[in-house]
Amino acid sequence: MPRTSVIECPGCPPVRALTFDVLGLIKVVEARGKEKGVAKVVERWGEPDPSKCVLAASIDDCEFDPLLAVARKCGSIELISPVNGDLRLSLSNGSQVDGEPEDDPVSGLHLFKKKKLQSSSRSCTLLSCSKKGRVVLRSVELSSGDVNGNGTPLTWTVCGSGDVLCSKVDENENYALFGGKRVEVNVWDLEKRTKIWTAKSPPKNNLDIFTPTWFTSATFLNKDDHRKLVTGTNQHQVRLYDIAAQRRPVISFDFLEASITAVTEDLDGRKVYVGNGSGDLASFDIRTGKLLGRFSGKCSGSIKSIARHPELPVLASCGLDRYLRFWDTESRQLLSAVFLKQHLTSVVLDSQFNDEEVAGSDAPIPPNVSLELELDESLDEGEEDPQPVKKKKKSKELSGSKKKKNITLDEDEEDPQPVKRKKKSKELGGSKKKKTKQQSIVLYTFDGVCLK
Amino acid sequence: MGYKQPKAKNYDGDEDNYNKDDKPKMTTGQQLLPSMIKNKDKRSAVHAKLKEQKKLEKRKKAKARDALEKRAIELGEELPPRPVPRTIENTREADETICKPDDEELFAANDADEFSSVLKQEHVPKILITTCRFNSTRGPEFISDLLSVIPNAHYYKRGTYDLKKIVEYANKKDFTSLIVVHTNRREPDALLVIGLPDGPTAHFKLTKLVLRKDIKNHGNPTSHKPELVLNNFTTQLGHRIGRLIQSLFPQDPNFRGRRVVTFHNQRDFIFFRHHRYIFENKENKQSDSKTTKNKDGKVESVSKDRVIARLQECGPRFTLKLRTLQHGTFDTKGGEYEWVHKPEMDTSRRRFFL
Repeated sequence: MPRTSVIECPGCPPVRALTFDVLGLIKVVEARGKEKGVAKVVERWGEPDPSKCVLAASIDDCEFDPLLAVARKCGSIELISPVNGDLRLSLSNGSQVDGEPEDDPVSGLHLFKKKKLQSSSRSCTLLSCSKKGRVVLRSVELSSGDVNGNGTPLTWTVCGSGDVLCSKVDENENYALFGGKRVEVNVWDLEKRTKIWTAKSPPKNNLDIFTPTWFTSATFLNKDDHRKLVTGTNQHQVRLYDIAAQRRPVISFDFLEASITAVTEDLDGRKVYVGNGSGDLASFDIRTGKLLGRFSGKCSGSIKSIARHPELPVLASCGLDRYLRFWDTESRQLLSAVFLKQHLTSVVLDSQFNDEEVAGSDAPIPPNVSLELELDESLDEGEEDPQPVKKKKKSKELSGSKKKKNITLDEDEEDPQPVKRKKKSKELGGSKKKKTKQQSIVLYTFDGVCLK
Repeated sequence: MGYKQPKAKNYDGDEDNYNKDDKPKMTTGQQLLPSMIKNKDKRSAVHAKLKEQKKLEKRKKAKARDALEKRAIELGEELPPRPVPRTIENTREADETICKPDDEELFAANDADEFSSVLKQEHVPKILITTCRFNSTRGPEFISDLLSVIPNAHYYKRGTYDLKKIVEYANKKDFTSLIVVHTNRREPDALLVIGLPDGPTAHFKLTKLVLRKDIKNHGNPTSHKPELVLNNFTTQLGHRIGRLIQSLFPQDPNFRGRRVVTFHNQRDFIFFRHHRYIFENKENKQSDSKTTKNKDGKVESVSKDRVIARLQECGPRFTLKLRTLQHGTFDTKGGEYEWVHKPEMDTSRRRFFL
């Protein structure tokens, strides 16, 4: 009898993920238990309907009254409660000019997190970007269902031609970037609604061949710095742009041979996770452009979306192979995989989930949740919120580097380096320790003894 | 030398009671494996002995089983159940992606997918067949065979067109699928099946091609629409591939044509066969051939109106293996794959994807 190999999934810490698929279904996947929960589908919202295919989703997972925005193919944007799946409000995607919503589908969506705190009545601000480059920024009163909560929706276009494929709002929610096919990455100031920066395409290569612009994914690298962008292109290139330095990429490196489909930054802004069209997922050290390692786990379909958990070392990825996978960000091992039957378009993590309040998912969230969690795309307004010691150190140092940047904008490229390097050495020591620990764990599991 | 000598002696001295030695070892569970013995002669002796033992045991078992069966027949009892042999297929690794018949999501997905318009007979399948740039000898012959298998298929010369241009052209002309036969060293070795206008692109490896003219006693297919048999496409991916293949053929077969096209999936290999079948009365055959007259009349009376089906193979015979399934039409550079075969998936012989 030949031996059969079964991948041992170690199980993942308690996480809650919401996945969106081509039939417009929203599936809630939860992993419960202290350490080694197996992720399972808990709920399914919506009826299968191909015209309601989810194009983009964004979550605002604050403590009170979390909200989920979902853009559908049929041209509507729905605001849904991520706790129980109730539809709160449905609006059109804002491309009123042409009747057909299929002509100009939504390519990016962002639900603002900070602005709703100002007004007492429940309102939220939404930024949606369509494929043709129409950006709509509007605030919505949830209670009355009034679309024009305070004033008419602000609309502008970010590109003359081409298709916008990726858009992202930075952590402070003051800036947004857009990029796509034949659209160079550009950064907009959302308050003034002006373009503040545009990238410049790289020069012709040594064969005098010009590669056409085609950005497929983009993200801001740092939490509190909108000046560094990471983008992935269709020509399997990952590029780091620095607004303060130059218009051409600072670092640019290749990753395998399929188009990059998803790029997500790590919390500390040093690592990026890159997924591509043939199902490979890897983490890169963005400061050097070196490959840290690939995530190995028989992932065979294009990765559509990656989400980093803001607190735990967990990464969620989903895509065309119909699986939602949870990974350990440090060891790059597969923690758990869930088969979800449809092509998945995006995944978001609900960071407010903790295991204790599992009993009633719609029970009120205890107000004294000590850790305020945030999604990767959420902002870092809560700089003062209590986080692990390590993180605090980081934020301090980061703010230090920021100060320096403010003083000398031009030297920005070289300046933070020494600071960072110091950090690196410190961090390296720490990470090394961790690594050895993990190795020992692995060894133990090989012996058949589980340490955990 | 002084060191080696005693060791050799030891072996010699032990040789007489070697068998005594190793038997208790076997029973105590320590198991002296032949591979642990370094001397080749002794190793092969032990090995032969083990083999002999195994053979005897097997024979004994078979004898006992036969005896049981015989007795059961004599006593008129029911036969003891034959043990089911363990094969790679029935010890297949558990797979959560296998389609379940009561899955309403699956049906909803079926209604929404790219083939539904063809499979619901809203569109008549119309196939464009073309080749790679260089095509000779077996390639054209294979294509002429394919043309006779697939109804409403049209061959277009490839010329020097880009495949993306051909896809565009086929879209304009309302083709529903595009098949590209890729040849390497004058031997067809890959098949690209593209669903149009936005269907998936499947890339198959093509092996073991036997053309119609090389099949002995082959039949010649008629122009009737064939029946289609799709076997063992069980997982979600297999289901999708099955639907892709199904959309190549018309959904209303002419049963008068008695023509059947089979795609049989076994261990991720898809076997293509093309047959004509005929129903015949067994009774006729027995009366014709008088060699089987020694059978008692009882059997003959039973088989009087028994109908048997006979098959005649016609058309090509080949084997496909899926390499990639791409989302959207052909685009190697920027395409997104639904499924790619990767070497790290091949860690088990019992894992199948279709």
